[in-house]
Amino acid sequence: MSAAVPIPVIQLLQVLTVALGAPGVMGVIATVEARLQGRRGPRLLQPYYDLAKLCRKEALAPSGASWFFLAAPLVAVTAYLTIPLLIPVLTTYGLPLGYMGDILGGGFLLSLASFVVATAALATGSPYAQLGSSRAKTFSAIAEPVVLFVVFTVALLTGTDLPYALAATVRSSAGQVIRPAHLLASAALFMVILHETGRIPVETHTGTNEFGMIEEARSFEHSGPYFALLKWGSMLKQLILFTILANVFLAPWGLASTQRLGAVLLAIVALLAKAAAIGVAVAVIDNSFAKLRLFKITEYVSAAFLLAVTGVFTLYLGGG
Amino acid sequence: MSSPGVYEGTANAVAALMLLIEFGMLRQALVRDQVRLYAAQSALISVLAVVIAAVRDLPELYALAALSAALKVIGVPLVLRRLLGRPIGEDTPGVPGSYTLGPASAVLASIGLAAFGFFCFGNLGIRSAEAPTTALAIAGAMVFVAFGLMIVRRDVASQAIGFFSLENAISLAALVVAAGLPLILETAFLFDLLLAVVVFAMLIRAHHARAESLSTADLTRLRG
Repeated sequence: MSAAVPIPVIQLLQVLTVALGAPGVMGVIATVEARLQGRRGPRLLQPYYDLAKLCRKEALAPSGASWFFLAAPLVAVTAYLTIPLLIPVLTTYGLPLGYMGDILGGGFLLSLASFVVATAALATGSPYAQLGSSRAKTFSAIAEPVVLFVVFTVALLTGTDLPYALAATVRSSAGQVIRPAHLLASAALFMVILHETGRIPVETHTGTNEFGMIEEARSFEHSGPYFALLKWGSMLKQLILFTILANVFLAPWGLASTQRLGAVLLAIVALLAKAAAIGVAVAVIDNSFAKLRLFKITEYVSAAFLLAVTGVFTLYLGGG
Repeated sequence: MSSPGVYEGTANAVAALMLLIEFGMLRQALVRDQVRLYAAQSALISVLAVVIAAVRDLPELYALAALSAALKVIGVPLVLRRLLGRPIGEDTPGVPGSYTLGPASAVLASIGLAAFGFFCFGNLGIRSAEAPTTALAIAGAMVFVAFGLMIVRRDVASQAIGFFSLENAISLAALVVAAGLPLILETAFLFDLLLAVVVFAMLIRAHHARAESLSTADLTRLRG
């Protein structure tokens, strides 16, 4: 009874789901976090109101900043909105544009976005924004080998590095879920996501004290709609990483396998529910561990690296 | 790549967890936590024995699993905790900072060691009908990481725990290669561990009585 949705519309829906769902997921995390700390917390839709408020404000640029300063937020958001085309957001079958890039392509886009934001922060000449971008780049360079090894694991498991192929492999049998390489790579990716979304080990995500701000410090000089774009960009990045974890690694179930309207709608709900569940887990972890000192970050990342490397090892003898 | 099947996957995942716990011991600063990790690792090897017993229909492995759980999950940690609790007092949490390398470098170096052990054992080409080959290679990696643990930590307690976990690695290898070994032989291996516990207990006490510390750093001056 439900009609078939044309493929281009599904493709568009993938982007729209991530674009519109990201602030909501952030709202869920903020609420859970507040409840864990014994506060009532903001309403669920608060991030949407924040973005709307920022969009109505005046945009200012520091004197001497070049056009790049204002272009960077646009480039970053464009990069983040391109990634949902490449990963399985709603469907089990690859959509036409889904094959224009593999996991590495998605990784490049994520890095491009973070690079332009960091460069814009440098362009301001403000020492504080520069400090933030310098820290962010240093720490993402430390986490990079872990991501590479996770990609290697995927490549060894499936023979390709397409996210759709890995999701299909995981769905194919229970043996695929329980194999150590898959579990280890998923755990390593989860640790990297905690690190990349500014939760553990050193950052305070919502804080305004300068020691805990790494990612947040970069957007220090932006204001108005441009600041809204940057904030929206970091929410998009979070939902994209959660989507990769849920739909490629942990639980690639509930995706639409046909073009029927009901299945696609169900997939949208399932994706948001999975992202919210991961968000709750992240908030619980974030609030039950003490933050580490800044230089302990290498120990945290070396633990994630160990998981990823062990995953690749176990694959080599065919038993992983 | 085709998946290895639920049974092999489970066995390999348990073995991989044991390897990760070995790394955890390397990383953990407090002796009390190391003892806890050792108990967890021993519990995992009992679980693996039960899995193999159930799938391969080897009833005597159940007895071995029960015996090894009683000894290694309860007995040895209890002895170790009493031993370390009494001489140094409850308020002294082991010997923090007994690293010869920084924690991150120690982990990276041990990843190298683990890789060496893994591929050495993997290339032996031992195929067993009882348990998967990857678990054997992981046991090899564990042996090397346990040696690494004994080398990078300069306190008697860590070295004792490294030695006991070495025995866990050997048990894992024995389970994989020869799960059908007669029970009496397997039990004999377990009693080797008891002997080691007694010897290490005496060493720890003697060293502590003489040096008033669990650190072995001042032993380096003793040269012939």
